[in-house]
Amino acid sequence: MTEGGFTVFLVDDDADVLKALARLLRASGYDSREFATPQDFLREHDASLPGCAVFDVVMPDLDGLELQQALTASGVERPVIFLTGRGDIPTSVRAMKAGAVDFLTKPVNADAFLAAIDHAREQESREREARAEVVSFTARLATLTPRERQVLGHVIAGRLNKQIAYDLGTVEKTIKVHRSRMMEKMGVRSLAELVRMAERAGIQAQHY
Amino acid sequence: MRTSAGRFQRALDRFISDIGKPVAVAAAYFVGAEIAFFIGTLSDRIFAPFWPPNIVLFCALVLVPPRRWWLYILAAFPAHVIAELGIGMDIWQLLVAFATNVLVAVVNAAAMQRFVGEPPWFCDVRKTWLYVLITALASPAVVGLAGAFVPILGGGLLEDFGVHWTQWFASNSLASLALGPLVLILLADTSLPSVPALRTIEAVVIGAALVVVCTVAFEVSAGTFESGFLPALLYSPLPLILWSAVRFGSRGASGAILIVSAVLIWRALNGPSLFIAGDPETNVFALQVFLISLAIPVILLGAAVEQARRAERTTRDSEEQISFAATSANIGLWQHNLITGDFWATDHCRSMFGLPANAALNWEAIGNAVHADDRDMLKDAMRTAIYGSMPAECEFRVVLAGGETRWMAARAHAAHDDEHGPVQLSGLVADITERKTAEHQIEMQRRELAHLTRVSVVGELSGAIAHELNQPLTAILANAQASQRILAKDAPNLADVASALDDIEQASSRAGEVISRVRRLLRKSESRFELVDVNELFRSTLKLLHSELIARRISVSLDLAENLPMAIGDPVELQQVLLNLVMNASDAMSSIATRKRLLSLTTRTTEEGFVEGVISDQGRGLAPDQQGRLFQPFYTTKEHGLGLGLSICSTIINSHGGDLRIINNESGGARAVFVLPAHKAMAAAQ
Repeated sequence: MTEGGFTVFLVDDDADVLKALARLLRASGYDSREFATPQDFLREHDASLPGCAVFDVVMPDLDGLELQQALTASGVERPVIFLTGRGDIPTSVRAMKAGAVDFLTKPVNADAFLAAIDHAREQESREREARAEVVSFTARLATLTPRERQVLGHVIAGRLNKQIAYDLGTVEKTIKVHRSRMMEKMGVRSLAELVRMAERAGIQAQHY
Repeated sequence: MRTSAGRFQRALDRFISDIGKPVAVAAAYFVGAEIAFFIGTLSDRIFAPFWPPNIVLFCALVLVPPRRWWLYILAAFPAHVIAELGIGMDIWQLLVAFATNVLVAVVNAAAMQRFVGEPPWFCDVRKTWLYVLITALASPAVVGLAGAFVPILGGGLLEDFGVHWTQWFASNSLASLALGPLVLILLADTSLPSVPALRTIEAVVIGAALVVVCTVAFEVSAGTFESGFLPALLYSPLPLILWSAVRFGSRGASGAILIVSAVLIWRALNGPSLFIAGDPETNVFALQVFLISLAIPVILLGAAVEQARRAERTTRDSEEQISFAATSANIGLWQHNLITGDFWATDHCRSMFGLPANAALNWEAIGNAVHADDRDMLKDAMRTAIYGSMPAECEFRVVLAGGETRWMAARAHAAHDDEHGPVQLSGLVADITERKTAEHQIEMQRRELAHLTRVSVVGELSGAIAHELNQPLTAILANAQASQRILAKDAPNLADVASALDDIEQASSRAGEVISRVRRLLRKSESRFELVDVNELFRSTLKLLHSELIARRISVSLDLAENLPMAIGDPVELQQVLLNLVMNASDAMSSIATRKRLLSLTTRTTEEGFVEGVISDQGRGLAPDQQGRLFQPFYTTKEHGLGLGLSICSTIINSHGGDLRIINNESGGARAVFVLPAHKAMAAAQ
């Protein structure tokens, strides 16, 4: 079952654990890829596949937290779940701060494990969605005329048409036309939606 | 007042001791002369055939230092004068007689002091021989040359010088033999043991019998000239003399000779003529010669008896002393004659085996007392002692009648002779129960401490151990839950479930191994020495420390020798040593860069055939002041260390007959090197 194409990347130096977790994931309808060392994972995993990562914390050479850093450093954003045999608080705090979805203690119950996976999956799909939104927003942004782009900047800054017209040295009526064409091109129905999208895409409001 | 009285008392005492003794000697001199006159003088009324005064003076002189001799000589002079005047001797003759008397006494005393030495003189055949040579032969022979002039001065003929010399010689010689030894023994030899009452009676009986036998022999012999029985009669006192000498040693011999001499001479001078030659001079001379030749062997016999008796007493004393010392030291002594089978043991030795003092002693009785498990060992040790060239030792237990068990150490060696080989086995047994108990207690404490440190190591490693246990548990749980999910499906893949169950089984046994490794470490049981594969020990230690080393970012290089001989030891304690050494090495590397943290473990067989293990780190190594103190208890360089780890490691390795050292590596870091004796059969097979 490749529901929406979601893959769980398992990294654990313990072959028995790796095999068992993979079996559990398969039985629960997930795709999984197993890696016996962090190096194998960094070298071989397909960053383009949607999915999440499950890292053992205690591994030789590179531990789970370092692996997470290495992954982020390579520009891959992927939700990470940590598994550890020694659930010490400092490590879990560090992991959560670094953006871990969850920090689970071995032996891990299937329900908790799968819940974390699902959580990661949601997060992943949310992020993916958001990323897709931003992509389409940016693409639409490119279709705007320079004047419409200017108007957008003023609109998301919360300026009234009258003020925008004044700022740009034109009449309110012209701004109204630009504005409605811009809103149409951007595919948004409300100002609030535009602001949210602009914020997500990192577009700066025009402040005076 | 008291002081002056005391001083007077002391002065009086000194006077008595200074003057009293010479006066006593003078009195004895006079009495001796009177006795001689009573026994009888020869026809010239001058020569006594038996002349005690010279011996009295000699005995006095020989017992005091030469510088005081003048005092005694001076004291004797008046006694001499009074005695001789009593028989009407003229003054010149008297003076010459005194001079020769003094001369023989002085020569005797000087020679005795010079050649024979300190008393006792008659407990030793050599000294007695010297006494006889000096006082009975040499000295009277020489001084007699002057003494022979005494009768000549009294009107004797110069032609009779030979006769006079002979008389003078015989009279002094006989006195030296008959009287001298007894007087000197009584005065000087205080080392003789006192005689019990019964023996005193025996001595008196022998003395009385001698007087009677001598007298009767003399009286009877007078009528038996022609019958030819005379020699037999003369020898009739001999059995009594021998009896006396054998029973009473020197004292008996001299006493008997004195009695025989006195009685025979008295009877010779005053009784019927004994010898065929009619005149008394010749008779007496013959008697003197007879007595001298009788006295010399008898006195020597007495001395020989005395010497043998003393040697026996010395041996018995030293045996008693050794036995006493051995008993005091709780040691039993024993001897086993391998030819006759005779067995001897001190009473204490018997009691150590719980055997009564009168019980028959043999190997069977001893074997029965020995703990059944130790009998063969003891037998082997005794066999080694008999047939080997070295003394054999062995420690064994004795079970006493009350059920009490005592530890004994035996040591035995065999005496060999060329003809028979081993002839006698002798040895000692010491009760070493207290030492064994103390050793046992020390061993128990050591084990207790070792156990406690093992527990603390396990405590330190609890995180790592939990991780080691969590891995298989994680696999088990995941596999089980995966199986549930597979089975819940409409068309479950049973092959997948079977494979999951296989994995569960495998992971369970893996968890079991972890638990049993930990349990072994925590277990507190009797030390059991067995064959230990040191390579395997390294591997299992690494398994125990697997996640700890990962957590500490330490990489491991393992280089184990092939064909490593087995060592003999307690695997748990040896594992503890390895754990400790690896943990120490890991601690030593905690402050260096992670990529440099390399732990190398190697094993090999040394040239001497020992099994060697090396645990080497790349840390900072040992500071010079640390080196000597590493194995001291409670010495630690760690913040939270107890300082017992290495000291216990060292004790454990030493108790295995091995050695543990920690030295700096040339290339940095330190290495712990331990060697253990290899199992011989295995080593030989290599």
